[in-house]
Amino acid sequence: MVTYFVRRLLLMLLTLFGISVIIFALLRIVPGNVVDILFDAAGFVDAADKAKIEADLGLDKPIPVQYAAWISGLAHGDLGYSYVSEKPALEEILPRIPITARLAGMALAFSILFGVPLGVLSAVKQNTALDYVLRLVSLSGLSMPAFWLGLLLLMAFVATTGMIPIYSQAPKSFWDSLLMYSVPAAAVGFRSSALIMRLTRSSMLEVLRQDYIRTARSKGASENSINYRHALRNAMLPVVTVIGIEAAFLIGGLIVTETVFNIPGIARFLVEAIRLRDYPIVQNLVMFIAVIVVAVNFAVDILYAALDPRIRYSN
Amino acid sequence: MNRDYRFAAAATALLLGIYATGAVSAPKYGGILKMEHRGGIASASILEEATFSTVVPFMGIFNNLVMYKQDVAQNSMDSIVPDLATSWTWSPDRTKLTFELRKGVKWHDGVPFTAKDVECTFNLIMGKSQDKLRKNPRKSWYQNVNDVVTNGDYEVSFILKRPQPALIALLASGYSPIYPCHVSAAQMRTHPIGTGPFKFVEYKTNQSIKVVRNPDYWKKGRPYLDGIDYTIIHDVSTSVLAFVAGKYDMTFPTNLTIAEVKDLKKQDPQAVCKIEPDNVNTNLIINRDSPPFNNPDIRKAMALTLDRKAFVDILFEGQADIGGAMLPPPQGIWGLTPEILKTIPGYGPDVEKNRAEARKLMEKAGYGPNNRLKIKVSTRNLPVYRDPAVILIDQLKQIYIDGELDVVETAQWFPKIARKDYTVGLNLTGNAVDDPDQAFYENYACGSQRNYTGYCNKDLQKLFDQQSMETDKAKRQKLVWEIDKQLQEDMARPVIFHARQGTCWQPYVKGVTVMVNSTYNGYRYEDVWLDK
Amino acid sequence: MQSEEYAAELSRAGANVGGRWSAALFLARRYPLGAIGAAIMLVFVFAALFAKFITFHDPLATHAAQSLAPPSAVYWMGADNFGRDVYSRIVYGARISLAVGIGATALGCLFGVALGLLSGYLMGWVDLLIQRVIDILQALPLLVLALVMAAALGPSLRNTIIAIAIPLIPYVARVLRANTLALRELPFVEAARAIGMSDLRIALRHVLPNTLAPLIVLATAQLGSAILTEASLSFLGLGVPEPYPSWGRMLSESAAEYVHTAPWLVIFPGIAISLAVFGTNLLGDAVRDLLDPRQRT
Repeated sequence: MVTYFVRRLLLMLLTLFGISVIIFALLRIVPGNVVDILFDAAGFVDAADKAKIEADLGLDKPIPVQYAAWISGLAHGDLGYSYVSEKPALEEILPRIPITARLAGMALAFSILFGVPLGVLSAVKQNTALDYVLRLVSLSGLSMPAFWLGLLLLMAFVATTGMIPIYSQAPKSFWDSLLMYSVPAAAVGFRSSALIMRLTRSSMLEVLRQDYIRTARSKGASENSINYRHALRNAMLPVVTVIGIEAAFLIGGLIVTETVFNIPGIARFLVEAIRLRDYPIVQNLVMFIAVIVVAVNFAVDILYAALDPRIRYSN
Repeated sequence: MNRDYRFAAAATALLLGIYATGAVSAPKYGGILKMEHRGGIASASILEEATFSTVVPFMGIFNNLVMYKQDVAQNSMDSIVPDLATSWTWSPDRTKLTFELRKGVKWHDGVPFTAKDVECTFNLIMGKSQDKLRKNPRKSWYQNVNDVVTNGDYEVSFILKRPQPALIALLASGYSPIYPCHVSAAQMRTHPIGTGPFKFVEYKTNQSIKVVRNPDYWKKGRPYLDGIDYTIIHDVSTSVLAFVAGKYDMTFPTNLTIAEVKDLKKQDPQAVCKIEPDNVNTNLIINRDSPPFNNPDIRKAMALTLDRKAFVDILFEGQADIGGAMLPPPQGIWGLTPEILKTIPGYGPDVEKNRAEARKLMEKAGYGPNNRLKIKVSTRNLPVYRDPAVILIDQLKQIYIDGELDVVETAQWFPKIARKDYTVGLNLTGNAVDDPDQAFYENYACGSQRNYTGYCNKDLQKLFDQQSMETDKAKRQKLVWEIDKQLQEDMARPVIFHARQGTCWQPYVKGVTVMVNSTYNGYRYEDVWLDK
Repeated sequence: MQSEEYAAELSRAGANVGGRWSAALFLARRYPLGAIGAAIMLVFVFAALFAKFITFHDPLATHAAQSLAPPSAVYWMGADNFGRDVYSRIVYGARISLAVGIGATALGCLFGVALGLLSGYLMGWVDLLIQRVIDILQALPLLVLALVMAAALGPSLRNTIIAIAIPLIPYVARVLRANTLALRELPFVEAARAIGMSDLRIALRHVLPNTLAPLIVLATAQLGSAILTEASLSFLGLGVPEPYPSWGRMLSESAAEYVHTAPWLVIFPGIAISLAVFGTNLLGDAVRDLLDPRQRT
């Protein structure tokens, strides 16, 4: 187990190293740099000024040197400065993380809260009208563009309540934040809840066919007890893994939702930073996201290995 | 300009202004104005930026030497009023402009304002100081200024190479704030210090901007507001919805399309909306070095096929202006009149006749229905650029040209244009000041960085200088018309239309004036108040 | 193998497999939702193939006088702000959406299959290397990767396809690798190796055909998400550029300005996207049920 753990840990570090190289290189392959953006509104790029700014930002150095500078900075906890705002990158990134985390957390909660029970219901009532309706609703949830769904929700909310659930200042209380995040969280969570519902349904059905369920049934256990005590618990294992993966995926839905609901989280900030070629922000944010994704996968792997000894040896 | 006359005019205008507002109701003090901001702020330093994204929130931090009177919608030489300067005089040979400065003015950090600060500011722009601006987009405005010299603490003079009466028009722009000597250019980007009615509080990247009332403002009784909060909203549909839901009191100035104004009014009929020209024109840039566009016949054919009215009808529901390089009257001061426009090829009302002529030119160059010219039309990946490009491509089809849209990302647009890495492009040209000295030199002078097509006409260049030195307005107007007509006939950069944009606010927001011939000069907001 | 399984499945289900049509009919009865999905997709494929014959306006031609014309006998779904016929644009837009969906899926599968096969079959250091590449690709959020790619390559139809295809690769590769690993231990592959078949030949002749089923399941599931990703990219200004009639852009750009004044500009593209993705999802479910009996629901 220890060797397996160490091995996975080393592989994880290798992956993170690869990501840092790729994002670093990719950003510099993308044509145009921050100086072009800075000059954009002026309608011209002054060559002398451009060279000077590039030198100030260290963009004139060879790319490997720039990379080494970034990594050694990271090792010391120094993320560098945003090229555009000239503030420390850490200062720009840090306050945005809890905002996105809260939104993602609520979206995840939303998707589990709706996805799991409806999935179970759909499986238990397999091939009834209810099952079909639930399946169709979940499918249509997967069929709508995220921004479109968000915009529809936003418009419906404004039309019915006259209020707009967009972010304008930091929420002051728990209820404030619940109110502010619930609509965007629903917009992001709808899609995930559809996914989770489908997954719960199919893994539930599979478990219900297993022998031990039949045994339980033959022993006279009530249907409810079978469905909820035996089947659901076992059906949840694959669902939990997918929820873990889905958490990493949420970021895609977050980008458009943060734009529509004007939430100053990291997802929208990242898109903006890519557009502005603000390398320190993009690099560090992508690394941050990658660390989370890799860490989640790592945790899942370790958990699995702990549960299932076969994996430890076969891999 | 005669000093006494200027003074009297300013005083009268001021009186009239007070009278006009007084008749409605007395302005109230207090309250925070909540505004939307469209984003796109690289820094808070107006001198380093060339977008009204920066000017709008930060103009109120500063004062100029002189400024355009904030409640007169049309910027002109007659609407320029004292600001940090109390008066100004020209030397008899008109090469020296001297300002008397206001006494007792303090920077937001308490340091007194003196003539040195004016000197520092212009040395910074002219690149003469130790401290340097990171970017310096306004340098070309002051090419004719040799030196800025102080005489004591409260007098400063601009020494010019040749007479330039319109210099004062440039100094009155929102683009010409006075910076303090004692604050570095770098700090001005993140925490600007000024003498203006509002003090900078914070700018959260991509999120919000806050400014508060300057209690020690030198102009007694101003500003009315306690402060202004800007919320940055990137998505237009969200921003319209947020306005309708009462999240803020005023939209970002001149940033709504006609369709968006309609949408907003439909949802909130009470909103006060103004649709005005923003002095940004959409034009065609043709790379004259790249064959076959080195053939003037083809360039002419392209200009002839333009159905300008169709552009205006489609993109602005009829509410935009057709003109030359200068914004057309009545909002514009110097633009070509309809009578002159009619005489320029391509501006005639009979589009079909123009296109027939264009097809002949194309046929002469060897193109026809079976030998169509394939081109790429380059433009920026923003709706204001892309939308007219789509119409342009459709119109070019009429003269055997098949265009394919080549959308270019913002980060690559100007470098690409500067490299001349395009054949046909669709471009936007904004003019901060409605004055020929700004528009002609910046966009059409030989060797200017913003003269993308490399159009260079030495004879015309002489006329640029001539109009610039002319003190008689009527004579200058004639020269300007002559130049503008020539520019259009030479197809230097065929102008398709001059855009109009909308601004909306709630009826309780008072004292807002949307300028009609520039979108860079009207955001001091010291006279704005909330009737709540 | 493919067709055998299919026939076996049919007969197992008690179908009277007389001909192609009766088989189709049987499938439709057995998977009614899948049949609806197939029908929806057929309509879109038909629209894409015969766009020229079922539209009456040039989808790119602008008409100032018809700007924002409401739906009428002439303009069935109204006209956009350029006076372009929305119906024609939606019909021609099926080409773009299908091109993006199928193109990106095919490209992603191609590279994913190559990587997965290599990785699973050759094992050793090749496997290790490819695994790391896959890990890396998977840890970068899909839309972020697409955004950087779109920014790097510049917005165009081809580049949009590439940008959407790249994030697909790791998923395909992962499934392929797992399947290949399982297959290479099976007797018939060992037999092939015993008679001296080359590795490449075994991989292509024996391993690949046997992983087709999960691949098809994965591909149909990805088709819809590729179309949706294009819409999201368009919303962020990086999708298929004008003047191509892309549904994603039609929706994202008109949603901003015309939702109250000209709702037909928002409704029809929205329906087109949702319906197409809905169709692929229904079809995907049915294909999964058919080809992957273990997951049958």
